[in-house]
Amino acid sequence: MDIPQGNSIVSPQTFPYMVAAFASLVGLALIFDVLRGNYGTPDGDLPGDPFTPLNLKTMLIVATAISLHVILLEIAGYIVAAIVCFWGVAYGFGSRRILKDLCISAVFAFVVYFSFSKGLNINLPSGFFDGILSNGK
Amino acid sequence: MGNNFAMLMDGFQTVFTPTNLMFGLLGTFLGTLVGVLPGIGPALAIGLLLPITLTVNPTSALIMFAAIFYGAMYGGSTTSILLNTPGESGSVITALEGNKMAKAGRAGAALATAAIGSFVAGTIATILLAFGAPVLAEFALTIQPAGYLALIILAFATVGTLLGTSRLRGLVALSMGLVIGLIGADLQSGALRLTFGNLNAIDGIETVTVIVAIFALGETLYLASRHTIIKASVLQINGKAWMTREDFKRSWKPWLRGTAIGFPLGVIPAGGSEVPTFLSYGVEKALSKNKDEFGKGAIEGVAGPEAANNANAAGVLVPMLALGLPTSATAAVVLVAFQSFNIQPGPMLFQTNPEIVWGLIASLFVGNFLLLVLNLPLIRFWVMLLKIPSHYLYAGITTFALLGAYALNNSTFDLQVALAIGVIGFLFRRFGVPITPLIIGAILGPLSELYFKRALQISQGDWHILIAGVFPKVIYGILFLVIIGPFVWNFKKQFAVKK
Repeated sequence: MDIPQGNSIVSPQTFPYMVAAFASLVGLALIFDVLRGNYGTPDGDLPGDPFTPLNLKTMLIVATAISLHVILLEIAGYIVAAIVCFWGVAYGFGSRRILKDLCISAVFAFVVYFSFSKGLNINLPSGFFDGILSNGK
Repeated sequence: MGNNFAMLMDGFQTVFTPTNLMFGLLGTFLGTLVGVLPGIGPALAIGLLLPITLTVNPTSALIMFAAIFYGAMYGGSTTSILLNTPGESGSVITALEGNKMAKAGRAGAALATAAIGSFVAGTIATILLAFGAPVLAEFALTIQPAGYLALIILAFATVGTLLGTSRLRGLVALSMGLVIGLIGADLQSGALRLTFGNLNAIDGIETVTVIVAIFALGETLYLASRHTIIKASVLQINGKAWMTREDFKRSWKPWLRGTAIGFPLGVIPAGGSEVPTFLSYGVEKALSKNKDEFGKGAIEGVAGPEAANNANAAGVLVPMLALGLPTSATAAVVLVAFQSFNIQPGPMLFQTNPEIVWGLIASLFVGNFLLLVLNLPLIRFWVMLLKIPSHYLYAGITTFALLGAYALNNSTFDLQVALAIGVIGFLFRRFGVPITPLIIGAILGPLSELYFKRALQISQGDWHILIAGVFPKVIYGILFLVIIGPFVWNFKKQFAVKK
């Protein structure tokens, strides 16, 4: 049942307007709900409510590690980016064995890189290692 | 019926090739692994492995995904019982009694009743799936676009309002998913919507990116925000993971009742595996002769919910395969897996791709059997995994999730989207907004628009077609009940209390 091009019985704007109306409606309802004192229950089995203080230090380290991965990926290559991310998140979550963590990060990054690029033929940016690892591909 | 049986046998033949068996085995292993590890559920695991669809043939990949689907259920119960931290949402109830049993030195019996119960329920439910889904698909061929639209709206309502602690927050999540689904070029007119001039956004937001980011990145950020050093203790298993004759006698009825509760609630979109497991627990508690044992480690409280959990997982596959409507996050990822092979689940699936769909169903039987055989003897190996320090676990999940988001299109734009959605995921968890409705909205939103337009094109723009005929009316009637039902229920309860 193919509809020919240029058929404009339903404008491409109709459905988005319906979605917008629905989103505005539930959004308004949520504002009233919160004003009435229903602040919601955080997910999971950790106790607390939305006013429990955040652990900003851990959050900041983890968020930085993730952002660095995104920035470094195409500049420095997958392996470097993955080491930074893995190590950073582990550090953020309280691991302080810096050298051991670096080794584990490196092993993780190499294993993932090779199983994806060689095993599954998915090209990941090779960065510095270009030519050494990819056999002049 | 007879024909379907023959097709199923063909399916088994597909599965019993060395390559496919290997992928099935790998899937059961990976599935149990992600089930055991807290923080990764089956949806995320399949999402992360979706890049393999680029190189592996459809049948093998889907067989592996099916095995992961069931494997995660098995693995989740192990974590619940030994660590008291549910590995995935369907195992929350299992932790109640299972962990108490483990503390009382009955970990072996709890693990055994969970594994055997999962096998029994999984097998029965898969039989029902094998013979129910084609019947439903045949009926679905007669459904008009307006009827489909009604079904999707019903799925929106149930998934949006039955999950989580707040109905309103479920609908908020759904609306956000619908907005995400709108991003990109309109399929028919090519009009660009919500791209804000960004060329990368023309193809829309990848569902996999949404799933991976909201589960993995959102969860990691949330756990980071709540980070305190807690030492969780893994309980030891004394003796073999097996059960006594007495345990069997107390378990088999809960297994069957759990199956009877879990399967239908998966077929009708009742929103995830929490509801059926919770119901099953309630039923077992009400029927048990050993009521005083509940809360202290009653085997019925493990057997019933575990069976319900697995039967539910198979039930969810019925509308996914026969109608193309996923109603859980995991089913949604399996749907995306089908789509990445350019196969659209739905009524036509059984006719257009019989070898794949029957191979998949047969692999559910085989995977279920492999899990039973592998899980109990290997239990000590899985327990070892629970001792991986959590900081390495989160580091691995995060890094792998970023890879999954990137590898699909080799694009940093996808990664930036993933970061943004990760932040949304964090905020959702922080303020108690459920996540599944967002995923369902993002996947089914575009589909609902498609049916909406088709219906109006058939009627040349007459909106009455949306409620024309018996089928849409019945569905909207059910929708009405789903919406007002909880209010009536509350009102009755309040009335009863006043009396």
